Amino acid sequence: MTIAPTATPAKPRRRRRRNLTLTIGIVVTAAFMAMALASFFYLPHNPNVPRIPDRLLPAGSPGYLLGTDALGRDIFSQLMVGARTSLTVGAGGALISLVIGTIAGLSAAAFGRVADETISRGADIMLSIPGMVTALVLAATIGSGALTTILALSAFFTPSFTRVIRSAALSVMQEDFITAARLYDRPTWFILLRHVLPNVAGVMIVQFTLYFAAGILTEAGLSYLGVGVTRPSISWGMMLNEAQQQVGISSPLAMWPGLAIVIVVLGLNLLGDGLRDVLDPKLARRA
Amino acid sequence: MPVYIARKLAFFLLAVLVASIAIFLLIRGAGGNVAAVILGKDATAEAINALAQQYGLDRPLFVQYFDWIGNLLQGDLGRSFRTNEPVTDLVVSRLSISIPLCVSGLILGLVIAIPAGTYSALNSDKPLGAVIALLSQVGIAVPVFWAGILLSLLFGVRLGWLPTGGWTNWDVSLWGAVRSLVLPVISLGLILGASLTRYVRSAVLDVMNQDYVRTARATGMTRMQALLQVGLRNAALPIATVVGLQIAELIGGTVIIETVFSLPGLSRMILANVAAREVIVVQSTVMLIIIFVMFINLIVDLLYGVLDPRVRLAR
Repeated sequence: MTIAPTATPAKPRRRRRRNLTLTIGIVVTAAFMAMALASFFYLPHNPNVPRIPDRLLPAGSPGYLLGTDALGRDIFSQLMVGARTSLTVGAGGALISLVIGTIAGLSAAAFGRVADETISRGADIMLSIPGMVTALVLAATIGSGALTTILALSAFFTPSFTRVIRSAALSVMQEDFITAARLYDRPTWFILLRHVLPNVAGVMIVQFTLYFAAGILTEAGLSYLGVGVTRPSISWGMMLNEAQQQVGISSPLAMWPGLAIVIVVLGLNLLGDGLRDVLDPKLARRA
Repeated sequence: MPVYIARKLAFFLLAVLVASIAIFLLIRGAGGNVAAVILGKDATAEAINALAQQYGLDRPLFVQYFDWIGNLLQGDLGRSFRTNEPVTDLVVSRLSISIPLCVSGLILGLVIAIPAGTYSALNSDKPLGAVIALLSQVGIAVPVFWAGILLSLLFGVRLGWLPTGGWTNWDVSLWGAVRSLVLPVISLGLILGASLTRYVRSAVLDVMNQDYVRTARATGMTRMQALLQVGLRNAALPIATVVGLQIAELIGGTVIIETVFSLPGLSRMILANVAAREVIVVQSTVMLIIIFVMFINLIVDLLYGVLDPRVRLAR
């Protein structure tokens, strides 16, 4: 009996919270992308050129907004180029996973039990291989770098995309309009492209956003370990590693890249959650 | 139940087989000529051939694969090219660090996540429930190594309570070993706990909306009684699945946190061997980790069968 009165006033409040989530997500993500794009046109300093006289300047020093590192390189410029790396590697990994995962997920949903079992079990197997370890193996064999990191992320994320898109597609396949399309003798690929794909697009967008964030975290971890991107590219994870090795953890240098990662990943996750609420009300109830 | 166990066991074996082929091909296929990789750019063709012959790297790939997997099954993981040390020895000496770290991290994560997630699901409209949800959202965004750096900054540098890194072996000082593991375990557990809290929260929310909970409430149970007697048992299933999946993530976190705190664990050994291009060492150790993760997932699946009659009786 206590359920009914609380349910009604809660509704508008929840919607407002959703909009707030989405708004913060959009603002943070847009700022992050603007920073990454701006780095192609303007940098306060060259982030790879050491200036020993200016080493370890504190934040707010003239000419250096966030100070300099142990070799006198401008922190803010490095953060800007780091945003570029996070953007390309995170989005790249999520995009490849999205493409392969969509093809695999739709095939599993549409092409019968054998295809479904093969693809689903394959995804299960891949899910139980630790992504960090795959990345280490790739780094050992084909060498580290941005491209290796993107490949590792794709191998790591594709099975999740496959599973999520498969189950979304399966529930769409139950709908009457699919049966109608079948009765019209539409070929399966046509049904998938024309009817199923648009109906799972919401799930795809949400999944992409959340794994974009996960990709940024993983890339930072790999670069922190020294098996991700290498100079002249710059990664926030790499900056943390250098800060710890060159000046020890007590330096404020270890603050900025960490904060940047947290803010951007949080922003993308909020964006993903907000989008889920808008695009996919059924899923939103659970999260 | 026997059919269920047999199916899960068969899948486990298949998974290990597929993963071993994948890892083997990834390393051998992507790595090109292993002997050339090991010896570096300046090696002569003779030296490369000699090394290849010594380690049987000139044989057809499938022969090498069966050789490797056959030895692996007998507990022989191969030897390091450079030091000729058996990989088994390299691995075993590191496990006394990595396993306690990983397991305590997981336990801490669960100890945080189960009460926090349940509380915030049941009290989602109260301030504390919302704060927990917010903290978990922020925690998910914090990279595990940054958490480690911040913790060691606070407790190691500022307060000086715990070491900021390094390792005292168990046989040297039990207390010392525990002290060097405290911060790494907290970093792992907090970050894992943050993401698990989210899953626990949504599992409990989901369960509390089910008809059987409403029925239980209708019989006069309070929300707490309904949760404890009906809800948790049902929420345990999705939580168990997520924990199984998080094991893979946890291992990734362990790799990183060992580096943050310079603990000479398994993952640091792998990293050093990645840098040294010790292909066999990396290949065997990675395979061991994968088997371990798959084994945990097998246990989770079997547990699923125990917890839920619908699962073990299906088909």
